[in-house]
Amino acid sequence: MPPQYIPDLTQIAAPPLELSVIVPFYNEEENIARMHSAIVGAIERIGVSFEMVFVDDGSRDRTLERAIEVARQDSRVRIVKFRRNYGQTPAMAAGIEQARGKVLVTMDGDLQNDPADIAHFLAKIDEGNDIVVGWRHNRQDKLISRKIPSRIANWLIGKVTGVPIKDNGCSLKAYRAALIKEIPLYSEMHRFIPAMASIAGPRIAEIKVRHHARQFGKSKYGLSRIYKVLLDLMVIKTVTSFTARPLLWFTLLAMPLLLLGFFAIGYSLLSWLEAPGPMPLPIAGTGVILVFGAMILVSGGVLGELIYKLGDLRDQQFSRLTENTWGANRD
Amino acid sequence: MTDAVALTNPDFSVIVPVGSRHAEATSLHAEYKSGLKAMGRSYELIYVLDGPRREFEVGLRRLLDRGERFTVVSLTRNFGEATALMAGFEHSSGQAVVTLPAYHQIQGSEIATLVAALTRCDIAVGRRWPRAGGMFERMRRSLFHKLLSWVTGVRLRDLGCGARAFSRRVLEEIQLYGDQHRFLAVLGERQGFVVHEVDVAQSPKDRFTSVYGPRDYARGLLDIFTIFFLVRFTKKPLRFFGMVGLTIFGIGSLLVAWLIAEKLLFGQGLAGRPALLLSTLLVVLGLQLFALGLLGELIIFTHARAIKDYQIERVIQFSRQDSAVDPSRA
Repeated sequence: MPPQYIPDLTQIAAPPLELSVIVPFYNEEENIARMHSAIVGAIERIGVSFEMVFVDDGSRDRTLERAIEVARQDSRVRIVKFRRNYGQTPAMAAGIEQARGKVLVTMDGDLQNDPADIAHFLAKIDEGNDIVVGWRHNRQDKLISRKIPSRIANWLIGKVTGVPIKDNGCSLKAYRAALIKEIPLYSEMHRFIPAMASIAGPRIAEIKVRHHARQFGKSKYGLSRIYKVLLDLMVIKTVTSFTARPLLWFTLLAMPLLLLGFFAIGYSLLSWLEAPGPMPLPIAGTGVILVFGAMILVSGGVLGELIYKLGDLRDQQFSRLTENTWGANRD
Repeated sequence: MTDAVALTNPDFSVIVPVGSRHAEATSLHAEYKSGLKAMGRSYELIYVLDGPRREFEVGLRRLLDRGERFTVVSLTRNFGEATALMAGFEHSSGQAVVTLPAYHQIQGSEIATLVAALTRCDIAVGRRWPRAGGMFERMRRSLFHKLLSWVTGVRLRDLGCGARAFSRRVLEEIQLYGDQHRFLAVLGERQGFVVHEVDVAQSPKDRFTSVYGPRDYARGLLDIFTIFFLVRFTKKPLRFFGMVGLTIFGIGSLLVAWLIAEKLLFGQGLAGRPALLLSTLLVVLGLQLFALGLLGELIIFTHARAIKDYQIERVIQFSRQDSAVDPSRA
């Protein structure tokens, strides 16, 4: 029997759901059915209306077939299929795009997260948080290659972004859908979703979650991405804090150059006044280079202003996502 | 094709972008037509004149007078092959699209081979094989394509072949511009399409021994350079600019530190040292490259909603009637 494919959500007139569970799968054929029953078991106990969005990130094994088997049994399963393997961030982004719940929970497809924790996440969201992140406090992974680098990375991410989260790498997170759907997710930003979301000033809570050792399949991460993480971190810091005022930031960046440059030029002028003759070229030249360099940086800031003006992203939209209004204006 | 015939969509559309290098219209048309006719399927043929191509245009008019059927799209200036392709594509209606070069590269009978390959893949690119050419020529080619596959991870052996067949959705997803027609296979693979290279017989008229000048080499290298950026860094400019910028900045800073140390420890005056100029230049250049990367990131970030990283092939969900579980609880 050919399966019935329903290409977009407008074709199903469904009542609004309270919860969407988004799980990206990449070569997880053994895990998908287990994952499904674990999620169903955990959420039916809570008793909220929900759906599951399974993202097949271009798996090369039988993950998709298994997922279709599951979906045939359960119409709450929605499979988003990628044509090729795009990676974790696009998979998350596609899941978030396709999800229809009011609260979105993301988790890994490898059974290391425990769906039983979802109830706590929902409770935290109900308390008024916009983002709830999991913290694998008893993480079941290798110490040297996984845990220690991740601890350093988390500390650094907290310091740089100002969003102190103990465990950015934990995929088990919950978001208010209206907020997360507006946050741009691209490149390899899934580790930094809370930091990226900080552009909207969300209320973030962190809770401890269970973490199981991997039973099936292979781990897909290694210790080879330090420089990428560092540069990504710089990107996040840059885009979240200076998107709306690039000229200011570039000017600040140019300031030391400008000051040093003026100092060097002034020094060589003074020494020339004291002892007229040929000017000391290296010092004067250095000054000129520094001042010109600073000017180019400031011009870059002007370009930045133009880019922001023409882009489709406004701080105002973000502020609206999280704002509260109170007071008494009318009688 | 005339309006009366265009009522039903043809099986496939053939687009021939006519640039500065082109064969004589009559012989080219005869070659392609014989190949297309032999396939026995419905098709439409579209010539795109990329800028004024008087001679070719006259030839086409003569063919039309003779009762041949094809569409001509003529562009007012030379926009480049990718743009010409897209223009032709907009006028096409077949589910599959075949592009053919405007000069004799492959034998007309090989169009069938390309179209047939589409049952197994989304994009079929021709590879002229067996291929004429001397030893040196072959080495040059193989070196270029090795470099290409190293940079892009896609193994292709004849980037210069203009004969390609692909399904319609490929060009609906990939907007080509500039010189990107050459990289359709690479870009398609990046979008997750299945790409096959298909051996096609080279036209005997393609076998002139070309002398490759420095311009061609420069162009080849530029191609590689372009695709390198397109594939690796378009979505993450800081990965590139940041790396280069920080390296240069680091070297400059070390040099400055060394000069200052010499000044403080050995009283070596800075005023007489050209090395100071060099190190300052490096520091400033590094900073500027880094700032360029930041600007790039700013562009990506502020347009992130318009430029999506991924393409969903399909969404699968079974309706309630089909499934055993009733989802309307809660």
